[in-house]
Amino acid sequence: MAEYWGIKVEDIFNTMKERFRPEGAKDVSASFGYDIKGEGTWRLTVRNNTMNIEKTDDLAGCAAIMVADGETFVGVNTGKVDGAGAFTSGKVKVEGSLSDFGKTAKMFRKFSPPKKEYTDKDYIQDMFGTIVSRFQPQNCEGLDASIGYDLRGEAGGQWTAVIKDGTCALKNTIEGKPTVRLEVAASDWVRVMMGKIDAMSLLAEGKAAIVGDTSLALKLGQIFAKYTPTWAAPEQELIMLKRTISVNQKFSTGPVMGKFLNSLKEKKIYTNKCPKCGRVHLPAREVCAECRVPATEWITVGPKGQVRYMEYVYYASPDPLTGETRETPYGMGNILLDGCTGNDTFAHLIRRDQIDRIKGGNNEVSGTRVRPVWNETLTGSIHDIKYFEIDE
Amino acid sequence: MGKRVAVCAVAQIKNDPNYWHLRFQNMLHECFESIMEQTKVTFDMEKGIRTVITCSDDVFDARTISNNGVTDVVGAQFRGEEKMAQESINGLGYAMASILSGHDDVVLFMGHCKESQGESKKMVTNLAYDPFYCRPLGLDFVSADALQARAYMRKSGVTDTHLAKVVVRSRKNARKNPYARECALVDEQDVMSSPMLADPMREMHYYPDTDWAFGMLLCCEERVKEFTKKPVWISGYGSCMDSYFLGDRDLTSNFSLKNAAKRAYEKAGIKDPRKEINLFELSDHAAYQLPMWAEGVGIADEGKGGAWIDEGGMEKYNVNLSGGQLNGNPLLLGGAARAIECVLQLRGEAGDRQVKGAKKALAQAAYGGAGQHQAVVILEA
Repeated sequence: MAEYWGIKVEDIFNTMKERFRPEGAKDVSASFGYDIKGEGTWRLTVRNNTMNIEKTDDLAGCAAIMVADGETFVGVNTGKVDGAGAFTSGKVKVEGSLSDFGKTAKMFRKFSPPKKEYTDKDYIQDMFGTIVSRFQPQNCEGLDASIGYDLRGEAGGQWTAVIKDGTCALKNTIEGKPTVRLEVAASDWVRVMMGKIDAMSLLAEGKAAIVGDTSLALKLGQIFAKYTPTWAAPEQELIMLKRTISVNQKFSTGPVMGKFLNSLKEKKIYTNKCPKCGRVHLPAREVCAECRVPATEWITVGPKGQVRYMEYVYYASPDPLTGETRETPYGMGNILLDGCTGNDTFAHLIRRDQIDRIKGGNNEVSGTRVRPVWNETLTGSIHDIKYFEIDE
Repeated sequence: MGKRVAVCAVAQIKNDPNYWHLRFQNMLHECFESIMEQTKVTFDMEKGIRTVITCSDDVFDARTISNNGVTDVVGAQFRGEEKMAQESINGLGYAMASILSGHDDVVLFMGHCKESQGESKKMVTNLAYDPFYCRPLGLDFVSADALQARAYMRKSGVTDTHLAKVVVRSRKNARKNPYARECALVDEQDVMSSPMLADPMREMHYYPDTDWAFGMLLCCEERVKEFTKKPVWISGYGSCMDSYFLGDRDLTSNFSLKNAAKRAYEKAGIKDPRKEINLFELSDHAAYQLPMWAEGVGIADEGKGGAWIDEGGMEKYNVNLSGGQLNGNPLLLGGAARAIECVLQLRGEAGDRQVKGAKKALAQAAYGGAGQHQAVVILEA
């Protein structure tokens, strides 16, 4: 199995169970396939807020199948490769329903690479590798002593720290009789140094012995700075501060915007046009930007029209203040209302369950005919129209 | 002195506590039409306006890049439109630079601020401060100003009574200015019993929320006759930014204002502002600032602001005959308001408040808490 950034394709699949978020899989009942070139195929089944992942050749009946090479797959899952970029460049393909496959994005927590397991031997090597740099000469004025470490067991060995004239030297052996000699199992010593067990209790249990100057052994914490494994992540110094900025405001609508919004209350799209060039403003505006004259002529347009531009949006854009989101994917479009020409289109939403059936037009070909669906309560806002739906 | 830049026309709407029936677009468009009417300038890409500079504030307008809401009403579609997000007077400096560089002959400069839109102006100015150290303490322009007010008043012998005199005079002067915000006339006792905002600053010591918009047309010397018979020349401009964190500054030193004024005087060839300049428009958005800025521009002796008021310094030097910032202009636009008033005076169009034979005027702008940013413009008839 090839590794990418130290991670195998299997690692991603094998951690899916622990990364699964049932709340992100609500109302999903489907199978999804993963065809990872050169690695194999996997089948993800989601039903009743539970999931199963298996390596299998049988991808029949999957709602969507993702096709990618191993490097891209690992890269996208670990954030090393931009997902949207991989998709647009064709390095990731989705066969079947793209909108269904989009649902899998919410189902799993982000993959984080597993931590390497360090052995006692790794720790012991690291401890003695850093002991000289951890020496604290300012606490050892006039100290002339040697500390012997006699660590037993597979990971063990013998070391002597020789302290003299404010310096510390390490020998990989114990010669003669050091000032103090510590005898303990290497594995226990690792636990002591990592703060997982108290040295006194080891002594009390007879699992450790101090031979020689006991008082020197008690000063070890001052002679050497606290041990932290060199591979441990540095302490968090960069604090992330979260703030939501909000100032309440109120906006006058003035004679133009006010008239436009008021007409929505009467289920009408009433707007102004330029007396010079005839452009229709949607929404209504004070002046024609191109002719620099006030748009004084008012007309009723639509409310039906044809779709000119449209898109599916796959992210919910939650309002940071209310947490309110939209169901995804949702359709956004620009609609050429009846009575308008050229680029005088009106932006609004498109009924979610119809977006697959809607086609955008242009000046030569008409787009799908649509009509507004009005809200039950009309307040004079853009939401007085819920969305546009196919006029059939 | 090299080439000169002229202000050919100015336009403004009346300062108002709340234009509830207008959007800021409507406010601006009035000014736009007035400039077009006064100058007959066109948008021809060779001979007309190629660049429009606007001044507005993202927070008050609740949108980032707030100029996107006004491009159409200032005629800026399909040409250069650039926004000054700082004190408006910088926009004047910007327009001047565009013309002096030779890139533009004619620049339209427009600005708006609708302070009535924000439900709390204090929250808006709170956003001007560092979000992690200062905002959580509640620091805003009012409280920053009060720190400066207390220290300055001690240094310069300015008392609560002096501040009351400044407020009473400001409102009285504003009555002679048809564009001034309508504020009730008050006496000194009214001011001295006005509630404390942040001691020593009382409610009446602070300018009230105001909606306003303006327009100006600037042009190079060679073409000025095409647009006006009464040009007003920008002969000196200087601006200076002091430290952001209040703790880094001596709040009573007037450091940035003195620097800005020095530069403007040098450019305008002014040796003694007391003798050479006929009127001063100072951005006193709080009452203590009038004597303080007077010291900064050199018409009051350093540390003598209180005595200067007693000796009639405000009248002697024709300071804020318009009512000043204190009577009410949006904070963002204080500098433009001061400059426009100077232009009206220098054109002899200042009505009941006209200084006879005014030839040179000074407009000052102060922005940020405790006058962090300062700019000075010298205008000449």
